Amino acid sequence: MTNPSRNPPNPLMIDLREATKKYDDGPPALAGVTLSVAAGECLAVLGHSGSGKSTLLNLIAGLDRPSSGTVTVNGIRVDRLGEAGSAKYRRASIGMIFQFFNLLDDLTVLDNVLVPAQLAGMGKAEAKRRSAELLGSLGIDRHAKAYPQRLSGGQRQRVAVARALMNRPALLLADEPTGALDSHSAQDVRRLLLDLNAEGQTILLVTHDVELAAGTAHRTIELVDGAVARDVVNGAARGDASLTTPANAAVTGPAGAVR
Amino acid sequence: MSALGKVVRSGVGRRRVQSFVMALTTLAAVTSSVLSLGLLTVVQAPFDHAFAKRGGAHLAVQFDGAKATAAQAAATAHAAGVTEAGGPYPITTSLDSTVGPDCTAGIGPGMTFADTAAPPVTVTTRPNLTAGAGLDQIVLDRGTWPTGPNQIVLNDWPGECLGKSVVFSSLAGKPSFKVVGFANSLTDTATGWTTADGFARLTGAGAKTDSQMLYRFAAAGTEAQITADRQAVAAAAPAGSVEGAQSYLTARTQATGNAKSFVPFLIVFGVLGLFLSVLIIAIVVSGAVVSGIRRIGILKSLGFTPGQVARAYAAQALIPATIGVVAGTVFGNLLAVPVLNGTSHDLGSGGATLPVWVSLLVPLGTLAIVAVTAMIPALRAGRLPAVQTLVVGRAPRAERGRAAQRLASRLPLPRSVSLGLAQPFARPARAALVGAAVLFGAVSVTFALGLETGFSKFQDQRSAGFNAASLIVVPTSEDPEQGGPPGGMYGPNDPRTPHLDAAKVSAALASVPGTKAAFGWGDSGATVVGAPTGDMTAVDTVSGDFSWTGMELISGRWYSGPGEAVISDRLATAMGTHVGDAVTVVQEGKPLTLKVVGVAFDTHDSGRSVLVDSATFAAAGLTPRIDQFNVELASGVSGPDWAASATAALSPLHADVDDNQSGHGSDVVMVMSALVATLSVMLLVVAALGVLNTVVQDTRERIHDLGIFKALGMTPRQTVSMVLTSVALTGLIAGLIGVPIGTALEKATLTPMGNAVGMHLPPSVTNTYSLGLVLPLLAGGVVIALLGALLPAGWAARSRTATALRTE
Repeated sequence: MTNPSRNPPNPLMIDLREATKKYDDGPPALAGVTLSVAAGECLAVLGHSGSGKSTLLNLIAGLDRPSSGTVTVNGIRVDRLGEAGSAKYRRASIGMIFQFFNLLDDLTVLDNVLVPAQLAGMGKAEAKRRSAELLGSLGIDRHAKAYPQRLSGGQRQRVAVARALMNRPALLLADEPTGALDSHSAQDVRRLLLDLNAEGQTILLVTHDVELAAGTAHRTIELVDGAVARDVVNGAARGDASLTTPANAAVTGPAGAVR
Repeated sequence: MSALGKVVRSGVGRRRVQSFVMALTTLAAVTSSVLSLGLLTVVQAPFDHAFAKRGGAHLAVQFDGAKATAAQAAATAHAAGVTEAGGPYPITTSLDSTVGPDCTAGIGPGMTFADTAAPPVTVTTRPNLTAGAGLDQIVLDRGTWPTGPNQIVLNDWPGECLGKSVVFSSLAGKPSFKVVGFANSLTDTATGWTTADGFARLTGAGAKTDSQMLYRFAAAGTEAQITADRQAVAAAAPAGSVEGAQSYLTARTQATGNAKSFVPFLIVFGVLGLFLSVLIIAIVVSGAVVSGIRRIGILKSLGFTPGQVARAYAAQALIPATIGVVAGTVFGNLLAVPVLNGTSHDLGSGGATLPVWVSLLVPLGTLAIVAVTAMIPALRAGRLPAVQTLVVGRAPRAERGRAAQRLASRLPLPRSVSLGLAQPFARPARAALVGAAVLFGAVSVTFALGLETGFSKFQDQRSAGFNAASLIVVPTSEDPEQGGPPGGMYGPNDPRTPHLDAAKVSAALASVPGTKAAFGWGDSGATVVGAPTGDMTAVDTVSGDFSWTGMELISGRWYSGPGEAVISDRLATAMGTHVGDAVTVVQEGKPLTLKVVGVAFDTHDSGRSVLVDSATFAAAGLTPRIDQFNVELASGVSGPDWAASATAALSPLHADVDDNQSGHGSDVVMVMSALVATLSVMLLVVAALGVLNTVVQDTRERIHDLGIFKALGMTPRQTVSMVLTSVALTGLIAGLIGVPIGTALEKATLTPMGNAVGMHLPPSVTNTYSLGLVLPLLAGGVVIALLGALLPAGWAARSRTATALRTE
């Protein structure tokens, strides 16, 4: 896989307009966020605990609904979907990877990977072919019959990535994907995300790891108290070279054009 | 409130559903147990106590005076198995009696007891009636013992007529005695006691004299043993000399009334309820411990001792259980009131109330069982290391069920279904709890439905036989206010009692259009030698074919020739009579020996009757009495129209058309039916709530996995499907096991219930499980499991994925 530096292409994959999320009587978890992400773009979302990162991810994944505003992903008005519609939307359009992998411990690696396809009713032969392709390309095919608990953290996150890509989602949501990994495994996952993005996969990366954001994403936004405090286009740090020399694109100050 | 108290109160408050379930199941268990144990105590213990105290006889045998001398009767004291004997005592056959003309106490407006019919009396005499030792000591209830030849003590007699005379109306010269007291024999060996001189007056007037012997046996606990004992006595006496025998078991059945028939099914419900209580409490408390491990860690970190933690969790079960126990005790006592109505209170029983010790023992025993059940998981909570519970936050997961998951994933089923199917194998203990709850539910439902079907069939049978008729034809009643005899005030043999002319009425009915079938019958006024004296026994003479009434034979065949009779099951049981035996009936002093060719399930009147063809009576010189014709109308014929056209034909025959009084159903059976329905619904609800509680527990623990599935695109419908499938297989298996158990319990219960009131239920009543009932029942386990899992499945489907994913 290659990692060409490039400009984000159109059309829009994510389009949030004045999206607000309030819980009870407290301050809004997300306060009127307007955000656009183009197809093929990799966007990193930075922020401290409680800044609204997870809320933003949940709204985009259709796991939660905004109190006001709109959320459109891949042309679908996610904020208007019901429970079943959200599930089908996630099935068809979203792949998710998590900090703690969220693999099903009582299923083998292969069965974990197959679950999204089986829930979507994909044909058996096609599901088998697709899972073999993913396990092979991610280098975990020899662990297909193993259970997740036997794998290293990096291997588990690869299984999670394979599962997330099973239904060829338009958008990959990565929630702190390296947060539970050692540095070697974290680099491994970072390279994987870069490769996927290079192949055209749109990625939204939620992290508090500044280096990961700068080295992986085209663009980084920082959330503070539920609002976008900064929106930075990353510079040349992103790329293979940056894996060994981490980017210096801090979001504490504008490192590129601010939108 | 102490810290411990607050923890307990918050625990109970947070588990309202579970607390309700625990209260409900203990309520069902205690209600059934209090009632069953209480009934056994109230209705049977007084008899057993009095039987021991008064030297009750296991068997009283009446020997035909013409076939066995007193010495020969006395010799049977040495028959095999006899441990003690009394007699021989001279005894009459059952004698017709009327209240003497001197009893002018009023029955109602314008009517007195004078000359009205009184129950037949079997009179005996003993050398020492007041004996305080020996077999069958007679107890004087009111008045004095007889001291002269004109005095007598009776058992069943209008209280207002004490001190007045009784007239033996079927004897020559109608001898009269002054009733000086009321007395009773515990085993109903006789209903009248007089002096030797007084007895001589009866024999002098033509009363047939027999000999009565009383026995106790080495083995006499069951009907079969009593039958064998009776045969041993008969073998020691001249052939054919035994006219009748009275078993103490029959007397006990009469004394305990219908209440004892409640005991078998109440015991089953009590045991089921207790098991279910233990199961539910184990589920709830262990569930509370497992789901509250983090909470336990916090409590311990705050300084709670292991003992305090254990007490806190045990108390969360004991509080609702105590509420259920108290309510169950109250319900059990309240339900005893209608159940005990009709029970004999002659033996010093406490009336329609249960003993206090039952209301203490059962609830305290149940609470002890509940406490032990709750303490086992509660102690586990107390022993959990605080550090581990705080760090882990939930019970460690075992690596079980992976093979099942692999296997299920290969099945050609939707993934949500195959995931659910494999779930029980991952948590076998929890699946076992679900299975046990469903099993008890399935057993309860199967048992209850079988009983209810049996009750319904029994009620149907009560409407058959002599109770079956579209309309009935009876003698024209004369208005008592215009000088006519008040109906039913005189005996069947009293010339003032009107009867029907069987041949003429039969012919008239045949001539009325719309008559499909008809037969006549009536109480002949004859008595049965050796029949129990405690209940009314009738010898019914029958004219015509009554096969259309659906009366069922338990054994033998219907009478078809002269000298044959069919005896009702209840009477046959009470007398120990079988097909092939002979019974002697006596009408106005004239004996007639009949061969018993069949035993019928006949429930009309008190269910104690001998059915004889009128022709047999007439051929023997006795008078058949026909008091009623049962008429079956052809289909589509209007009752009022038929009655209008029949009246013209019947009026000249002094016969009238009357409605067949409906409502032959037994009130006792209706009370039983309501009780069974209530208890089974309670247990069913508890079983379903037990499943619900377990699935809620399971869903809580799997909430993180559910979040993953939903994040991967599992729809709410697929989530519901997965949760429901996770209990369906367990429910199916539990149902398949529960149905045969429930069926066996019903089989072991219904028959003893009949036996408790001296009945042998026929196959038409006891064959309760048709294929149409069993097939749905087999699926009942799945239904219970699904009903219980439906709510948590919906909850799982609605749970917020984002929250679930963060749950560890």
